[in-house]
Amino acid sequence: MSFKKALIVYRKELLELLRDRRTLFATVVLPVIMYPLLFMGFSAIMSRQAGVLEKRGATVAWVDSLSIRNADSGSFSKSIQDNLAKLEYFTVVPAPKALKQLYAEEEIQAIVTLSDSLSKQGLATYKLQVQYDASGERERMIYGKIEKALLATEKAEINRRLVTLKVNPELIKPMVIVPRDTSTAEKKMGSFLGMFLPYIMILTLVAGAATIAADLVAGEKERRTLETLLVSSASRSEIVWGKYLTIFTMAMVNVTINLVSLSFSLRFLMSQSGLETQGLQLPISAFLILLLAMVPLASLFAALLLSISTFSRNMKEARTYEQPIMMVSMLLGMISFVPSIEINNLLALVPVVNISLLFKAVMINEYALSHLLLTIGTTLVLDAIAIWATVKLFNTESVLFRSEDDSNVKISRANKRSFFNPFYGLVYFAIAVLALFYLGGKWQAANLVRGLQMTELALILLPVLIVLRLLKLKPKETLRLKLPRLQEVALVPFIAVSAAVLVTLAAQLINAVFPFPPEYMESMSKIFQQDVSLGMMFLVIAILPGICEEVLFRGFLIRFFGDKARNAVIISALLFAIFHLDPFRFLPVFLLGLLLGYLTVRSGSIINSMLSHAINNGLALLVVTYASQPWLKPLLQDAENFKLWVGLLALPVLATSLWMFHKVTAPKELN
Amino acid sequence: MIAVQALVKEFPKKDGTTFRAVDEVSFEAAHGEIVCLLGVNGAGKTTTMRILSTVFKPQSGKASIEGFDVLTQGDQVRRNLGFLSGDTGLYARLTPREFIHYFGRLYGVQDNAIKRRIEEMSALLDMREFLDKKMEFLSTGMKQKVSIVRSIIHDPPVMIFDEPTAGLDILTARNIIAFIRDCKQRGKCVLFSTHIMREAERLADRVIMIHQGRILTQGSLPSLREESGLTDLDDIFVYYVNQASADAKVEAHEF
Ligand SMILES: Nc1ncnc2c1ncn2[C@@H]1O[C@H](COP(=O)(O)OP(=O)(O)OP(=O)(O)O)[C@@H](O)[C@H]1O
Ligand SMILES: [Mg+2]
Repeated sequence: MSFKKALIVYRKELLELLRDRRTLFATVVLPVIMYPLLFMGFSAIMSRQAGVLEKRGATVAWVDSLSIRNADSGSFSKSIQDNLAKLEYFTVVPAPKALKQLYAEEEIQAIVTLSDSLSKQGLATYKLQVQYDASGERERMIYGKIEKALLATEKAEINRRLVTLKVNPELIKPMVIVPRDTSTAEKKMGSFLGMFLPYIMILTLVAGAATIAADLVAGEKERRTLETLLVSSASRSEIVWGKYLTIFTMAMVNVTINLVSLSFSLRFLMSQSGLETQGLQLPISAFLILLLAMVPLASLFAALLLSISTFSRNMKEARTYEQPIMMVSMLLGMISFVPSIEINNLLALVPVVNISLLFKAVMINEYALSHLLLTIGTTLVLDAIAIWATVKLFNTESVLFRSEDDSNVKISRANKRSFFNPFYGLVYFAIAVLALFYLGGKWQAANLVRGLQMTELALILLPVLIVLRLLKLKPKETLRLKLPRLQEVALVPFIAVSAAVLVTLAAQLINAVFPFPPEYMESMSKIFQQDVSLGMMFLVIAILPGICEEVLFRGFLIRFFGDKARNAVIISALLFAIFHLDPFRFLPVFLLGLLLGYLTVRSGSIINSMLSHAINNGLALLVVTYASQPWLKPLLQDAENFKLWVGLLALPVLATSLWMFHKVTAPKELN
Repeated sequence: MIAVQALVKEFPKKDGTTFRAVDEVSFEAAHGEIVCLLGVNGAGKTTTMRILSTVFKPQSGKASIEGFDVLTQGDQVRRNLGFLSGDTGLYARLTPREFIHYFGRLYGVQDNAIKRRIEEMSALLDMREFLDKKMEFLSTGMKQKVSIVRSIIHDPPVMIFDEPTAGLDILTARNIIAFIRDCKQRGKCVLFSTHIMREAERLADRVIMIHQGRILTQGSLPSLREESGLTDLDDIFVYYVNQASADAKVEAHEF
């Protein structure tokens, strides 16, 4: 691996890209012209709209039902009419005969009626009714103007009355409210930009990188130039690095141009509108930090998209496979629009989300260095993994030279006989998650215990049995419903208990670094505070999940993911973790899923993992229920967590029992 | 030189079984010799050549270029090998000069040497006019010339041509044929593949007939004629294919 050759590849790719009008247009020209056009067009439309509405003016009917009876009110009535007539583009007409109809036909947009009423002290109060259609934008504007005019009249009337009473009008002004906004103009601008800037930046980053990435490997396959490159004396990793650097560079160039163009056009727009934004500077330093934070993300996307391009046979396929990545990152990027979410140590670990939230925080200059570092660090770690994977893919000939008959259509056709392919697995899982989210959530909200029972039985267990029935598959075989051997079962409690202790400790550790939000802790403990018998609790928390969830994950879903036991175990554990719809427990649940998958696949009997799952969940219930009992208390640190030394004790127990399990389940030698 | 011993290449099939594209292939090719891999579509020619050029890894067997093992010394193998195939594409937005420089640099050739070589070859192949045109505007014949220069820019001792004349008209094909002969003159070791019997007849010192991944027979043309008692290469090829399937039937009976 020499960087010299990677650089040769890199330089050539850049040269080629710069000669491509489309790329050049998308990366340089488009952002330069897009923002000015967007902003100017937008502001022009906005002001035009407001101006047009105003110019259209209004016809207001004036109904005076008071002056006929009460001559005194004449001057007041007149001053109102004067004030209304003073409004620009307003026509005030005395109530015409066909008032109702004219109002209905919107020839008249508002009717102001003067009447009076007596207050308790016998003082007369003028009553002004303003009739208008509040659902119309124009009508709302008209109402606003009328209200202003009326208030001005009121003020004059008060002054007049006070003067007649020989009172200084100043007397009734004991206070003035003076709002003093301490947010700087920059900060206001920042919080505004912080909403949509992350989204735009992530979008341009992914979209720009995707076009280029598709071209770089899949494009070379399509144009039949890849083989020539492979037989040249550049090694595969040199080629990957050269291409990766190309995507990365172009993505960063794209983002930079976008940021610069955006800031210029914003500044221009502000100087044009002139309002309170005068002298306002854009947060340039923030832009620089953002650019810095974009570096690892650009790198991550470059590697990810390059690996997709490597996998794809042609550009069209590459663009198709890129779609999900673009969708997911766009959705994750949108988190900046959610007003209440701010970056914290945990969210700083979620790729894309972290950058988006960091953007938001940086724009209002309220971010911690730790968040910046965590964000960059996480992204870099993922980035390294992605680059490593890409090099590996590039070295895998079955990927680089996927033959034509490998196409997805044919996969599904070939596997029609076998229902168990990854695609169907994911579809089934997606449906199950949706059912859990909508139905299960609803049931559990209505009644937690009943809801949990129904979820486990009706949503998790039953559909699997139905599907097996429909496919005429034997549940016993498919789900590995086989009685385990005694020596296996005997080991399971040791494995389950020690693993449970360790997993709780792991969760605690995570909690220490990334504190769970208190609302979350509350909702978690709610389940243990149900007013039902311990036996029922045991059924709902330990037995049912032990059976139903095992049937779904270790029995059914695990079958979809290939013959390689290791992959199937890992993927089913991942799904198991996702299924819990709980980012805070993701890792512990995933680890548990790995263990359970191993137990099932290794021993060929799902009973082992059912037992283990039930013990694991049951233990949690046991701990919460008997936390204060003298026989349990010494082991515990607080109501739910074990002391560290218990964990240290559990580690060798788990290791030994797992080792023994591995031994007793070893496949018998054929002889 | 090229040395291939009991080479096996299998591709996984969707139903979990494997497909043998190259089955125990062995042969050698020396310097100053043109060896032809002759076989119908899907015979395994390209696959064999891809293994030789380190693009594919064989399941078993050995292959070496100039004594360098294709599995363990890929870098040296590629350095000593020029590869040209009929259906390779070119980078449309580069000029031939840039294209050749690119590969020259990847092979670690000095810029001066690359320049000299481009001059020399473009005089020889009459390609001065289009050296600085974008390649998207070149004709197929021009493109083929560019590929030729690209394939020998690092002056490799071994040349591999995979159906080099596929899709070319007679005149352009003649350029290639002349070039292959030229390689032999310069003492290079040449392996080329084709399914056109005439081409093999005209060029090859030795012919290796390959069918369904297996070598049917190999030898110089006169010796093949003698062995089969036929003159036309087409007939000779069919003769050996029939013989192989007869053998296979006998084998099947024995089981
Ligand atoms: N990457 C691959 N994956 C799966 N099968 C492949 C792959 N490459 C080649 N094959 C198969 O191997 C066999 C031999 O192919 P190969 O390209 O070597 O034939 P060939 O002799 O070059 O034929 P042609 O004259 O068509 O070029 C074919 O049946 C082909 O389908
Ligand atoms: Mg071929």
